[in-house]
Amino acid sequence: MNTAVDPNYKPPLSERLEPYMAVIAPMAMIAAIFAFMAVASPDRFYRISNLELILQDAALYMPMAMAMTFVITQRGIDLSVGSVAVLSAIIMAFLVKQFGFSIYVGIPIALTIGALLGLVNGLVITRFNVPDLIGTLAMDLVYKGLALLLAKGLVLARFPDVLTEIGRGQTPFFIPTPAVIGILTMVAGYYVLQRTHFGRYTVAIGSSPESAELTGIGVKRHKVYAYVLCGACAALAGLMLTGKQNAIQATMAPFFNLHVIAAVVVGGTSLFGGRASIIGSFSGVLLLAMMLNALVTLRIEFFWQPVASGFVIISSVALYAWIQKKDRDGAGGWFADLKTAEGQKLMRFSALLIGVLIALLAIGGVFAGDTAPSG
Amino acid sequence: MADTPLVQMRGITKRFGGVTALQDVDLSAYAGEVLAIVGDNGAGKSTLIKVLTGVYQPTEGEIFLDGELVTFSNHADAARAGIDAVYQTLALADHLDPAANMFLGNELTKTVLGITILDNKKMRSETERVLMERLGVRLKSLDAPTDSLSGGQRQAVAIARAVYHEGLRVLVMDEPTAARGPQETARTLKLIKSLKAQGLAVILISHSLDDVFEVADRVHVQRRGQCVGVVLTAESSTQDVLGMIVGAKEDAA
Repeated sequence: MNTAVDPNYKPPLSERLEPYMAVIAPMAMIAAIFAFMAVASPDRFYRISNLELILQDAALYMPMAMAMTFVITQRGIDLSVGSVAVLSAIIMAFLVKQFGFSIYVGIPIALTIGALLGLVNGLVITRFNVPDLIGTLAMDLVYKGLALLLAKGLVLARFPDVLTEIGRGQTPFFIPTPAVIGILTMVAGYYVLQRTHFGRYTVAIGSSPESAELTGIGVKRHKVYAYVLCGACAALAGLMLTGKQNAIQATMAPFFNLHVIAAVVVGGTSLFGGRASIIGSFSGVLLLAMMLNALVTLRIEFFWQPVASGFVIISSVALYAWIQKKDRDGAGGWFADLKTAEGQKLMRFSALLIGVLIALLAIGGVFAGDTAPSG
Repeated sequence: MADTPLVQMRGITKRFGGVTALQDVDLSAYAGEVLAIVGDNGAGKSTLIKVLTGVYQPTEGEIFLDGELVTFSNHADAARAGIDAVYQTLALADHLDPAANMFLGNELTKTVLGITILDNKKMRSETERVLMERLGVRLKSLDAPTDSLSGGQRQAVAIARAVYHEGLRVLVMDEPTAARGPQETARTLKLIKSLKAQGLAVILISHSLDDVFEVADRVHVQRRGQCVGVVLTAESSTQDVLGMIVGAKEDAA
């Protein structure tokens, strides 16, 4: 038999299913939201205008989620996308509004600035050996500060039609223009991941940085590339946001970072590197947009949104960790651990903390005096 | 055995700051032979092969390939010249499939509409060919990530990566039989013999003297950064080599 593969080998179901989990899991959750909304609020959720709104919201996150997939797959993380988006959009806005630049020059300038900010992130991380988390978090502060310095509290508004088209335009067929742009970046990202050196090395670096180094891959160089991609995509999102609002100010986009990371992680890209799924990230973006839209449709207070996002991140990461754990023999479920000596100690410790809080509240309540209004 | 060694290291000294890892070491390997390097931990085996494969640059000393002086500024230089290594860790990216791993850092490409992209199909068929024809190894799947393969199969992928290079003349194998079961060890040793039969110079680093005496033609013994002797396996025993490794003769004198 002239083949290098054992023809008799049949992988078990779980192993065959695993590559598709990244799509199946978010799709299942999307289906669950659809089903839930069909019962809870069908008339408002299922309107065409609402579905378009979901797509428009999701579109904003698609380029960033695509780029973040590369960064996270390399075991990195970029916590500066929000301020990169705002800073590059504000610089573009100044050039167009105050210096009379053409919007056709302004847009590429914004994308280039985003790429440059990403380059700075990448260099800080690879040259100064600052861990990704700290490096991008610190640069986030820097970029946010620069954006505030530039714009003060100013709102720059009313931009040429091209920009509003990018942000909230409508194609003749149902799908909004930003969604078209977002989906195109996703498709491009998919091919880059599957078909280019950068994509291949991204997975290799995340899978094993040492192996990548040994096979002669420029690990640091490709890390920098990923951050540059992330910066450019953040700038694109900044442009889409500016177009969508037809205005930009330095305090926009506060929830970008966590939202993008949530979408990528929900989509099955591993935070521990090496496992990438662009389709998963796409599903993740859709899922989060639908979830937030559902919260609005159900008239749940806005401030529950970060609570919901955080909950989705924790549960999906836990779910993937559970799937990944190969041998569950004898683990006996999540609560079996509580019966061990270690588990008992932790239980007593938790009980003590809660007890202290209850006691303090009780003391405060008993000795409470008259209230004085803050204002 | 030819008269000129295929690869020869002369007077290699390597210092890391004040630490001398290698002191005036000579090593030669011939085409179609298996040379084993043995020695205790810290004897300088790994440093020696890292100098040979271009990972480290020697502080002093020269390397000759086919009688010509060569200098390597990195591993890629050495690989281009025909010297490659299979590390104990195998240097595989476990999330990638065997074909992606085999061509890692050296991908086959094709041009579509003026854009250079990876030729995944060709890499896959080439992987299949090399595994079958040169190594005679059968994997359980070419699509599964490499971490789902057995230790021996993973090693085969790493070896396939080295032997795919047509110009490969010297293959260094670092502890290929460490942490392997008896059956897998036998398979690995068989593989080493077939590589030798294909005309490669195989340099084997091993702690297992049984394995060394099973496949190697000559044994280079390192001790405290120096070469304390080279013996033919046909004319010596594991006891002799063990004595050289621990320096029994020296201490007795």
